[in-house]
Amino acid sequence: MAGYILKRLISAIPVLFGISIIVFVIMAMIPGDPATAILGSYATPENVEKLNRDLGLDKPMVLRYFIWLGNMLQGDFGRSFSLNREVLDEVLERFGATLVLAGTAFVLCSILGVAAGVVSAARQYGFADKAITFAVLLGISIPSFFLGMMMILIFAVQLRWFPVSGMWPIYGARDLSALISHLTLPALALAVVATGVIARLSRSAMLEVLRQDFIRTARAKGVHERSVIWRHALRAAMVSIIPVLGVQAGFVLSGAVYIEMVFQWPGVGRMLVDAILKRDILLVQGGVVFVAACYVMFNIAVDVAQSMLDPRIKT
Amino acid sequence: MGFLSLLARNRLALGGLIVMILVVLLALVTPLLPLADPDVTNTAERFQKPFSDGALLGTDHLGRDLLSRLLWGTRLSLAVGFAAAIMAATIGAAIGIIAGFYGGRTDNIIMRGVDMLMAFPYILLALAIVAALGPGLMNALIAVAAVNIPFFARNIRGITVGIAHKEFIDAARLSGMNNAKIILSEVLPNVIPVIVIAMSTTVGWMILETAGLSFLGLGSQPPQADLGSMLGEARSALITNPHTSIVPGAMILIIVMAINLLGDGVRDALDPRLKSGALSRPMPATMVRRDGPIPTADDDALLALRGLKTQFHVKDRVYKAVGGVDLSVRPGECLGVIGESGSGKSVTALSIMGLVASPPGVITGGAVHYKGEDLIGAPYEKLRSLRGDRIAYIFQDPLATLHPLYTIGDQLIEAVRAHHGMGRAAARAHAIDLLKSVRIPNADKRVDSYPHEMSGGMRQRVGIAMALANEPEVIIADEPTTALDVTVQAQILSLLDDLRRDRGLAIIFITHDFGVVAQLCDRVAVMYAGKIVEEGPTNVILNAPAHPYTSRLMACVPELGQGRRELAAIPGLPPVVDNLPEGCAFADRCQKVREGCRAGTIALAAHGASQRVRCIAPETALPEVSA
Repeated sequence: MAGYILKRLISAIPVLFGISIIVFVIMAMIPGDPATAILGSYATPENVEKLNRDLGLDKPMVLRYFIWLGNMLQGDFGRSFSLNREVLDEVLERFGATLVLAGTAFVLCSILGVAAGVVSAARQYGFADKAITFAVLLGISIPSFFLGMMMILIFAVQLRWFPVSGMWPIYGARDLSALISHLTLPALALAVVATGVIARLSRSAMLEVLRQDFIRTARAKGVHERSVIWRHALRAAMVSIIPVLGVQAGFVLSGAVYIEMVFQWPGVGRMLVDAILKRDILLVQGGVVFVAACYVMFNIAVDVAQSMLDPRIKT
Repeated sequence: MGFLSLLARNRLALGGLIVMILVVLLALVTPLLPLADPDVTNTAERFQKPFSDGALLGTDHLGRDLLSRLLWGTRLSLAVGFAAAIMAATIGAAIGIIAGFYGGRTDNIIMRGVDMLMAFPYILLALAIVAALGPGLMNALIAVAAVNIPFFARNIRGITVGIAHKEFIDAARLSGMNNAKIILSEVLPNVIPVIVIAMSTTVGWMILETAGLSFLGLGSQPPQADLGSMLGEARSALITNPHTSIVPGAMILIIVMAINLLGDGVRDALDPRLKSGALSRPMPATMVRRDGPIPTADDDALLALRGLKTQFHVKDRVYKAVGGVDLSVRPGECLGVIGESGSGKSVTALSIMGLVASPPGVITGGAVHYKGEDLIGAPYEKLRSLRGDRIAYIFQDPLATLHPLYTIGDQLIEAVRAHHGMGRAAARAHAIDLLKSVRIPNADKRVDSYPHEMSGGMRQRVGIAMALANEPEVIIADEPTTALDVTVQAQILSLLDDLRRDRGLAIIFITHDFGVVAQLCDRVAVMYAGKIVEEGPTNVILNAPAHPYTSRLMACVPELGQGRRELAAIPGLPPVVDNLPEGCAFADRCQKVREGCRAGTIALAAHGASQRVRCIAPETALPEVSA
C-alpha cells in the first residue's frame, strides 16, 4: 500500500508541472504589462521600466517561468501589490476558510447524495424514487448563488435561524457553535448541486449492480434485503461512485467561489475574484496554482481509497 | 422518427422542450415587443414592486424596467450559452477527432494536455482565463468554452478511435482519399450525433457558468446585462427588495431545468438499455400473480412443484418460460432436470425460492410445497428464513455469483449469520470447516482469499460450501459444473454424491448433460419449451427413452469407445415461448410427427410402471404384460 501511494505521488509530479505551465502560459497571455497596471497609467516610462526589471519581466519567458517555479518551490509566491502582503500567507489564510466550507459541503453531498441514490434505486419507480428524482433535477438546475440568496432570504432574514453572512460573529466568541451557525447555510447551498449529481450517478450505479448475479446469490443465501442493498450492492456500486466523488470535490472546491461571494465568506475564491478585478496577477497565479495542486493531491487520496475498496486493483 | 416519438412519450422531456421553445421564441421576438428601454435609468422610480403601473415586474435599483431587462438578459444569456456550447463542441470535437484518427504519438501528446486541463478544478480554470483576458462577456464566453473543451475532446476521441479501425475507413484509404477528406466525409458524419448529444447535456451547464461569471462581475459589464449580472447587481438589495433577485434567478432556473429535462429525455431515448426496460432492478422476491385454483399438497415429498407457471412480461409480450411443471424430490434423492438452453429448467429452479428476476418475471400459477407448505406467495420474511437455511442454491459461474469485493470467508460467515446467531470467531471456524468439507486445501489460509484469486474449480467448491453452510435439506444446483473442465467436474460430482449419501440431502440438479445425470441422479425429468416431456428413473429413461425428444437429445451425446457413430444434431430450434403452438411443442422438429400431434393439450401420461411421458406415440412399446 505504501508503495502504491508513493507511486501515485510520483505520478503527480508531471501533472503539477503541467498545471504550473498552463497557469503561467495563461497569465503570460495578458495584454499590456503588469507594471503599468501596478503603477497606473500616469507612471513615467522610466518607472515602468525599472519596475519591469525589478519584477524580472525583461527576461525571456522560459527563464521567467523557471525563476517563478523555483521561487514557488521555496515557498516564495511573490508579493501581492493590492494587499501589500506575501501571496502565500494570504492564500494559506483564505484557503483555510475555503477548506472549512468546501470540506463540509463535500462531506454533506457525499453522504446525502449516495444515500439518496441508494434509496432511489432500491425503491425504483416508487414514491421515494420519484420524489428524489424530482428533487435531484431541481438541485442540479438551480444556480448555487441564486439558491444561496434565497436561503439567506428565508432562513436568515425571515426565520432568523442563521446569521446572514460571514464566517464569524462580529462580536462574541469565535467558537465551534458560532462557526456551525455561520457555516450551515453556505455549506448546504454549496452541497446541493453536487448532491444531485452524486445521487443520480449512485442510483444508476446501484441499478447496474442490483442486476448482477452475486446479488441473486446474496438473496439465495437468505441475507436480509436491507443488507443486500446497503452491504452487497452499495459496496460494489462504490467502485464506480468514488471516482465521481473525486470529480465532484473539484466542483465543490471551485464552486465555492459563488457561495463565498453570496455569504461574504473570507475564502480563496472571493480573494481570486477581487484579485482579478484589481489585476493583481501574482495573487491570482499563486492562488490558482495552490488550489489546483491541493486538488491533485486530493485526487490521489481518492485513488488510494479506491484501491483499498477494490482488492482487484493491483497496488 | 422512432427517436422523436420516444422523446414525445417522455412527458417530462416534452415539457422541457415546450418550455425551451417558448423561451427561445420570446428571446427572438424581444426586439419587436413594445418594451421599455432596458438601459434607461429613472432613479425616481427605483425599486417599484411587481405589478405596479407601467412595470409588470417592477423596477431595479436604477429604476430600469425589470421585464424588459429580463427579456433582453435572457436573450443575451441564451446566445452566450449556446455560443459557448458550439465553440466548445467544435474545438473539442476537432481535437478529439485528430487525436483519435491519427493515434500514436499525436494522440498521446494531445490527451496528456487534455488530462492536465482536467486536473484543474473546473471553475478555477475559467477564473484564470478571465483573469488573463480581463472581465467582459466575450472573455467569459471564451473561458467557459475553453474549460469545456477537454470534455468534448475526450468523448469524441473515444468514438473516433472506434471508427478509425472500421473497414469503410480502410476502404476510403485504399481508394486514394487523403486524411483530411476521410475525416470530413467518413469520420465526421459518424460522430456528429455524439457531438449533438454531448451538447444537449452540457448547454445547461454553459448557461449556468456564464451566468455565474457575470454574477461575480467578471462577465457582462454594465449597462449591458445578462441574467447573471442582473442577479449580481440585485444582490446588494436582496433583503430590502428581493423581487429584483428572484426575477432573474427564477428565469435561470427555468431555462436550465427545461434544458436538463430535454437532455435527459434525449439520452434516455438514445440509450437502448432503457428502451427495453432492462435497467429495472429485480425485487427481493419474484412477483406472484396467480389466477386459477392453487394446487394443494398431495403427497409427502420434501419439496414438490405442482403446476408451476412462470412468465416474463416484457412490454406487451408474454414469454411462458415455465408452463405448468410438476416435480418432486424426497430426502436423500437426486432429481436431474435436463433440457436445452431456454427450455425453462433454470427458471423453474429459481422460481422455487422466488429468485426469478422480477420485473420482468411473474409467477402466474401453481404451487411449491415444502413439507406441505406453499412457498409461492409466502411472505418475504418466510421465504428469506428458508433461503440458504433449508433450501440452498448452487449457481453456475461462481466468478459472477460470488461477491467480488468480499473474501470468501466473509461470504461464508454471512451465509451462516443470516440465519443463526453465531459469534464471528465461531462462524469463521465454521467457515474453515466448510471449506475443508469441500476439500479445499489450506482452508485456513484460503478463507481470506477473494474470489478472483481462486481457480474456477475452487470457486465452485466455495459455492457448494456456501450452500452447505446451514446444513440444508434441499440443494438446488443450477448447472454447477458447466464451466469446469472434465476432471474438476468429476470431482465436484462425486463430492455432491458423497454429501447426499452422508447427510441425506435432497438434490435438484439442473443440467444439459446426460453424462452428469447418469452419474448422479436417481430420477430424471426432461424439459422442453417450459414443460416436462418425460420423467422417470434414470436407468429406465437412459435405456429406453419414451419421448422422441429424449432419444434425439441422447443421440447428441458422443460416447467413448463406441467407435464411429453419427452424432445427430436436432434440426431446427426450440420454439419461442411467447407464441407456443398448440399440441406438442416438439412437433415441428420431430421425425415421427403425425396427425393429432398439433391439436389440443397432450397430457403427461403414465408409461409403464415408473415412467411418464408427454407424447401420443412414445418411442418404446410397453413391455407385454405376461399373465
